[in-house]
Amino acid sequence: MAIIEVENVRKAFRIPSARRDTVREHVLGVLEPRRFERLQVLDGITFSVDAGEAVGIMGRNGCGKSTLLRILCGIYAPDSGRVRVAAPVTPILELGVGWNPELDAVDNVCLIGGVMGMSLAEIRQRMDAVLAFAELERFANLKLKHYSSGMAARLGYAVAFEAVRDLLVLDEIFAVGDAGFRAKCETRYRELRAAGHTVLLVSHAVPIVTEFCTRLLLIEGGRVVEEGSPSDIAQRYVDLLVSPETGTASFAER
Amino acid sequence: MPGPNREALLGLAWTLVRTDFKVRYHGTIGGFVWALLKPLAMFALLLGVFSFVFGADPDYRLNLIIGLFLYEFFGDATKTGLASLATRGFLLTRAKCPAWILVLTSLANAVLTLAVFSVIIVIFLVASGRPPSLVALVQYAAYTGAFIVIVAGFSLAASVVFLRYRDLNQVWDVAAHAGFFLAPVVYPLGILPEWLHAYLYIWPPTPVIEFARAVLVRGDVPTLTAHLYLVGAAVLSLGVGTLVHRRYGPRAAEYL
Repeated sequence: MAIIEVENVRKAFRIPSARRDTVREHVLGVLEPRRFERLQVLDGITFSVDAGEAVGIMGRNGCGKSTLLRILCGIYAPDSGRVRVAAPVTPILELGVGWNPELDAVDNVCLIGGVMGMSLAEIRQRMDAVLAFAELERFANLKLKHYSSGMAARLGYAVAFEAVRDLLVLDEIFAVGDAGFRAKCETRYRELRAAGHTVLLVSHAVPIVTEFCTRLLLIEGGRVVEEGSPSDIAQRYVDLLVSPETGTASFAER
Repeated sequence: MPGPNREALLGLAWTLVRTDFKVRYHGTIGGFVWALLKPLAMFALLLGVFSFVFGADPDYRLNLIIGLFLYEFFGDATKTGLASLATRGFLLTRAKCPAWILVLTSLANAVLTLAVFSVIIVIFLVASGRPPSLVALVQYAAYTGAFIVIVAGFSLAASVVFLRYRDLNQVWDVAAHAGFFLAPVVYPLGILPEWLHAYLYIWPPTPVIEFARAVLVRGDVPTLTAHLYLVGAAVLSLGVGTLVHRRYGPRAAEYL
């Protein structure tokens, strides 16, 4: 049964020739009209993910991977097309950011857990496990502004892996922390997979997608150009990076 | 995709209010009391200066404290509401989160302060030998309720517009300062020509301050038309605020 269905989704951003973010800039620039370029990030992308699958997404920088994840998580709205996500999602999109620096770890986990759809009772129940996973029990009441980037990232991992919902959406997250902590994350990831959680994972790292995914999608030009076994598609991705023109041409021919 | 359910939303709302209190007042009652000192000091200062001008009016002191505290709420709540999505934007980019809950909960501490201000106003009235009747208190509560709705409507709209115009807070700061003198806070409305009153009533704090003074100090009840005007202003503000928020709120994360 499909847990994610994406059908012909399009998303474009209007890029102005000059940024104007203030009333003052708009007033002073009233006699200097701007040009807008349309950047079509997603161009009719279609795919589905079944419950229990671990699907990886690869593609060159700017091909729309992160925008796609944000649309799936309900953060961005698509311009057109249909998106159906039939399960609660734990989105982990930017590990090091997204905290209130003036609050301690406990309050930040309460906030992030809340926006991820967890009740206060659920958050309190899992708080000890989150702090233990992050190895931050001693610093639970320290404001995040005093955390190092590594500590903040560990807390992000911990929320992702201990407060997880049915569907885990991960954007480049196996890249932070020391070897010991990474091994702990990988073990936890396997536990979650064994428990039947569905995963959608974006990564540029071939070893990660081949090891952790059951299927891989290759995105180019805002659409899925190929999908299949992780090893085959990862090789296609590498070919694309080595020789972008050849890669694109070969997709067009298919 | 499924968003947070009702239980999760209530939990999130409570966490937002609690953590906001913690950040603003260092999590202590002492911090909250410290924040109350600013309007009280302002009251003492304005009373000291303007009692030379309006000292003949025996109600001036009571009118001043009502006007000052209500305007303090208006200034604080609109400023906080306007910046609410920008300051709490990190939550919008983490997961699907209804933007309105970030806006409305940001007003909670200003509403709490208004409640404390209202208790202080009642203490002043009692100490002045003018204890308000229960009916007057209910009417006052209704006016402040309408005031909160007006501020909520403004905040819903301004918070999403602020993401596109990042100096809107400075523009609003100037407007709110000018509005302090436009509303009859430090002066009695009666000193201005009557034809001007109708225009001053367009500025939302004016009817709320005047109606509150009428029921608490003078013991008058504003006319039905006046009440309908206030209700209309609240409905209009919330309606327009909701429409603007629904139009731009879903794309708020794209501007963060």
